[in-house]
Amino acid sequence: MNILVVDDSKAMRAIVKRALSKIGRFAGATFRDAVDGQQALAAIQEDKPDLVLSDWNMPEMTGIELLQALNDAGISVPFGFVTSESTPEMHELAKTHGARFMVSKPFTPESLDRALEGVV
Amino acid sequence: METLHVDLYRIAADIWNAMLGLDLEPDRPVDVHAPDERVVTGTVLITGDWEGAVTVQTTEQHAIRSTGLMMMMEDDEIEEEDVADTVGELANMAGGNVKGLLEGTCQLSLPSVTSGRDYHVSIPGTKVVQRSALDCEGQLVVVSLLQRQNGAG
Repeated sequence: MNILVVDDSKAMRAIVKRALSKIGRFAGATFRDAVDGQQALAAIQEDKPDLVLSDWNMPEMTGIELLQALNDAGISVPFGFVTSESTPEMHELAKTHGARFMVSKPFTPESLDRALEGVV
Repeated sequence: METLHVDLYRIAADIWNAMLGLDLEPDRPVDVHAPDERVVTGTVLITGDWEGAVTVQTTEQHAIRSTGLMMMMEDDEIEEEDVADTVGELANMAGGNVKGLLEGTCQLSLPSVTSGRDYHVSIPGTKVVQRSALDCEGQLVVVSLLQRQNGAG
């Protein structure tokens, strides 16, 4: 499985990857990093991943802008947010654009696992 | 604007526990950093229907320890930018959790990080409305909520 982790924080990318590695069905997954939406869009266009976990608030291109860009480009990929900001309005906006899950920071491997149930 | 009251200790304790695997203790008796101590501060601004900021301030020693835990790195591998990234992300999570408690529409800034000795972080037009001095492995962690004052700016 090829997983793209998008976050401008190196620390958070490390935490997300470590949490995923502790979830049995992601054991052996290959991880790629992107530091913002633009870099993620390029990475997805080059090699479509099986799953994208993205921060919301990032420089250059935010997570929701990335999801919009993927929709505009007709690229369908299991996509969700891992974000410290999680309001009902953001949930609604994410859902409207086709996000499959939304995980609030801080999270645990268990809460991430639950959020990803049925996604991949 | 009515003064906001949030449980800064609970927010911070959840972050430290989930992200670092560390316990934070409330009500640390000594609640200010020594002037000769190197301190790292992460700040996020909240704008919109509620305006203010959240800061997370800790000793450089604890910031390096947190970085090692978050990034799975040994102390001698850690660069200054890694420490800034970690403290910025801790502030971002604290700010995001505060934002989640606010009514109306608000935006969260990207975090900024300051480090050094004997300095004070202030944001024009705001004042500290809540401050929580916490202890983690003997190191001081201060989480503050600043709120824009009526008529400011």
